[in-house]
Amino acid sequence: MSGVLELRAVSKTYVDGADEVHALRDVDLTVEPGRMVAVMGPSGSGKSTLLTIAGALESPSAGEVLIAGQPLSAMSRHDRARLRRRAIGYVFQDFNLLPGLTAAENVALPLELDGLKAAKARAAGLRALDELGLADRAERFPDQLSGGERQRVAIARAVVGDRRLLLADEPTGALDTANGEAVMRLMLAACKRGLAAVMVTHDAQLASWADRVVFIRDGAVVDRTAPRPGPDSLLTGEAAR
Amino acid sequence: MSAAVAQRPLVLGSGHGGLPARRAVARWAWRLFRREWRQQAIVLALLVVAVAATTVGLAVAANAPTEAGTFGTADHLIALDGTDPQLAAGLAELRTSFGTVDVIEHGKKLPLPGSANGFDVRAQDPHGPFGAPMLRLTQGRWPQGPGEIALTGRVAAALGLGVGGAWNQDGRPRTVVGLVENPLDLRDAFALVAPGQAAAVDRVDVLIRASADEFRARPRPSGSTQVRSADASASAVVLVLATIGLVFVGLLAVAGFTVMAQRRLRALGLLGAMGASHRHIRLVLLANGAVVGGVGAVAGAAAGTVAWVALGPLLESPLGHRIDRFAVPWPTMLVAVLLATITAVVAAWWPARAAARMPVVAALSARPAAPRPAHRFAALGGVLLAAGTAALALAQQTRAPFIIGGVLATAVALLLLAPAGVAIVGRLARRAPLAPRLAMRDLARHRSRSGAALAAIALAVGIAAVVTLGAAVTVARAAAPTGGNLPADQLAVWVSPEAMAGPVPTLPQEQFDAVRTEVATIAADAHATAVALTGAVDPNQPLERNGRQPAVYAKPHAPGPGQPGDVMYNSRDMIGLFVAMPELLTHFGIDPASVHADTDLLLGRDSIDGYDLIPGRNARWQPVQQHVTLPAYGSLPSVLITEHGLARLHLTPIPVGWLVDAPAALTAAQIEHAQRSAAAAGVSVESRPTGADQARLAGWFTGAGIAVALGVLAMTVGLIRSETARDQRTLIATGARSGTRRALTAATAGALALAGAVIGTACAYVSMLAWYHREAHWLAHPPVLNLVALLVGLPVVAYLGGWLLAGREARGIARRPLE
Repeated sequence: MSGVLELRAVSKTYVDGADEVHALRDVDLTVEPGRMVAVMGPSGSGKSTLLTIAGALESPSAGEVLIAGQPLSAMSRHDRARLRRRAIGYVFQDFNLLPGLTAAENVALPLELDGLKAAKARAAGLRALDELGLADRAERFPDQLSGGERQRVAIARAVVGDRRLLLADEPTGALDTANGEAVMRLMLAACKRGLAAVMVTHDAQLASWADRVVFIRDGAVVDRTAPRPGPDSLLTGEAAR
Repeated sequence: MSAAVAQRPLVLGSGHGGLPARRAVARWAWRLFRREWRQQAIVLALLVVAVAATTVGLAVAANAPTEAGTFGTADHLIALDGTDPQLAAGLAELRTSFGTVDVIEHGKKLPLPGSANGFDVRAQDPHGPFGAPMLRLTQGRWPQGPGEIALTGRVAAALGLGVGGAWNQDGRPRTVVGLVENPLDLRDAFALVAPGQAAAVDRVDVLIRASADEFRARPRPSGSTQVRSADASASAVVLVLATIGLVFVGLLAVAGFTVMAQRRLRALGLLGAMGASHRHIRLVLLANGAVVGGVGAVAGAAAGTVAWVALGPLLESPLGHRIDRFAVPWPTMLVAVLLATITAVVAAWWPARAAARMPVVAALSARPAAPRPAHRFAALGGVLLAAGTAALALAQQTRAPFIIGGVLATAVALLLLAPAGVAIVGRLARRAPLAPRLAMRDLARHRSRSGAALAAIALAVGIAAVVTLGAAVTVARAAAPTGGNLPADQLAVWVSPEAMAGPVPTLPQEQFDAVRTEVATIAADAHATAVALTGAVDPNQPLERNGRQPAVYAKPHAPGPGQPGDVMYNSRDMIGLFVAMPELLTHFGIDPASVHADTDLLLGRDSIDGYDLIPGRNARWQPVQQHVTLPAYGSLPSVLITEHGLARLHLTPIPVGWLVDAPAALTAAQIEHAQRSAAAAGVSVESRPTGADQARLAGWFTGAGIAVALGVLAMTVGLIRSETARDQRTLIATGARSGTRRALTAATAGALALAGAVIGTACAYVSMLAWYHREAHWLAHPPVLNLVALLVGLPVVAYLGGWLLAGREARGIARRPLE
């Protein structure tokens, strides 16, 4: 079966005056539906660049990126924006929600940007929040939510609608252990529903929850492992519904 | 544990999300405005002030004095001689030609204590077809029948009469039955009787409504004719001025919105990561501009309306007519509101475009775009500055297209030169102490933000400097020993408010004596001497506005489009013709005996070639001229007509005013006192402008420029310093003193303010040199205090403000904008 995300010999080079920085070198990666891939590596190794290229935020210098079988290189800027709002969900480490919009509005925003009427988008947003146990936080603004709640709302926004790919850049980096685990449970639950996920992390314990771990150093994939499956007990309670 | 799921086909569709997407983006922009309006307070305040001023200006323009006080709702007035035996036939001819006419009979002028112009007994139908708006009953009732009369308040007060009082002024006893006024001309002093009840009719005004062609084509009796000029231009002028003002507000708003876009960079990046297209991101900032513009415009219109409703009636006395406080041109005001909103949207367009084109990854990292090389902007700015300067020089202070083009080109040039200014600040950092060095380099590094702020500061300072320099020129001119209308130690007291450029009323002896006494008092207060000024009139000339036009020399011009006749005269090109009375000759040091017996004109100027002697009938007159020495001031006599000349032209002398000559320059207080005394006597005073009003205006503009600049700094400096928070922490970790943060913020604000002040003032000087290029010597008297306030005061206040406010930065500085 083809992957939701396919990176074929992807390279990325930044030019700074006379200097060239190779952020990625010939990276191949495929993520199938329902699978989570963790990307690990030291600072500056190219993890975040991989994520931005996979998320159609940047174009590779060489190679090909396919999302749901469609090559990004053939897409216009508008098509890539449509792809992001329809198929890709992002979760960042520390800045995820738009100020001035409530949790429900933040979750519904990608749907509204895609042309869904406000009432329907809101209903979908509320459903997504309810599934993540945040129904009572729907009308709160980001600055009225805790850090963990903000990340859970961000995940709700990243999975709402007909999303295929969830990209998370250090999603638990700013959270305590309990909240970090809660966020991971939600991401795994999303994968169980069929999303493909790529998570950048420094935390080996969190990476062990993934189906596969990819190690990057100096822009190149240096190792791939398949860790032992995470304990089923983690997928219990509300998050595993 | 994992599960394989069959992949569904992905359909991307097309379009940008349509109305729901636009509505969602606009909603977010509105929410952001509600959260962060304080950060845009300076733009908001400027828009509010601009629209409020426009609203008040439109209301004043709509209520400006018009000719309705003379014409009512008619557009032509024919004045017929009331003693002409053919009067009835003439009126009949007018009725035949034009149908409905409104006839107003005027008796001879009667003296009114305290006024030079007297008042007349007027027979007018209060419900006349055209003249009805010119009458309003304030007390009692309208006069009916031969024994009743109504008076204006001023006449009643002067004569000590009220309703029920006995009138016996025009040889016919009457009872005062009411108090009336001309609401369109409160200075109009008269007594009103019923139609046909005037005791002795001196003049008959006939109001007619007809097009210019109809009026020309149809037969009418001979008589003095007045044509009403169009009233509608005042609102248009206000709107044009408001548009020019809004252009400057818009230029400042561009800088403000650029700073706001930079503050929201991460949020915009997040929006892009969520799938917002560049159109959505552009729409966020355009919607913000529309919200700021709309809120500012509506608030400004509301503030202006409230101010007008509260203060408008206070203008009735200075404007000389009743004011309907709700007679505001609402449609024009709506246009002003729309203009302000559009201005804000247009101002937001460039920052919106820049933000939409920024890569999402760069926006997410809140990393400002790498500054473009400053020399490209500087080169374009230099070209525009040269073009603007050339246009201002070519404008000759009169040609509107060149003036508008030059001002706009110079303003845009100033904006484009700002990034180069920031780059220079960065280069100058090398020799500065540690904190200023870091601050100046940070300014250069964050040029996309600091450049926009510097442009706004420079523009605010530039506008203030232009007004200040212009005021300084006026003050310098006033202080010059020669030239201008009058020397600084003299006053002219004129019987007519138009001096020699309009009809001068013939004063009855009793009244003339009263005015002369008042002038003597004015002269005594200033330890001055008063010399009578006498003009020459044709006694057969028909009365016009209760007076006769004295003879003057005027330069003929071709009439403009739509203007009647073959030749036009402008009051700016007129030379007053004064009678060479012995007293006046002696005052100017001319021995009356030295005037030759056959001399018609004494000339204090080289010649009067190219001038016509008006009013007419004297075109072929070849006067015998004799040159004498007369002072070279515009309002002082430079051409005198002798008794010989008067006799040849069949002109008679008429008192037109007095020249008050003091031993020393008159003070502003003496001039103001003289003006008050003259106004009480119904005459007017002309003096040399002191420039005091302009100096006051310059002070206000300097203060406003500094306030706007400080507002822009408040918007910007915190943002720039928060960007460099990490550097500061590193600095403190390496042993910098605790005051370093304050010093950095203060130096950032001070450097930005100084650069803005220097660029703004330099551009203002260049513009003013172009404007006054033929008389650049006036600029040799700089307004030192104002310039010191701008060039030194502003940077110092900015530095101190930065130092004081930086103390609150500790908690927030580690946080990035919008988090």
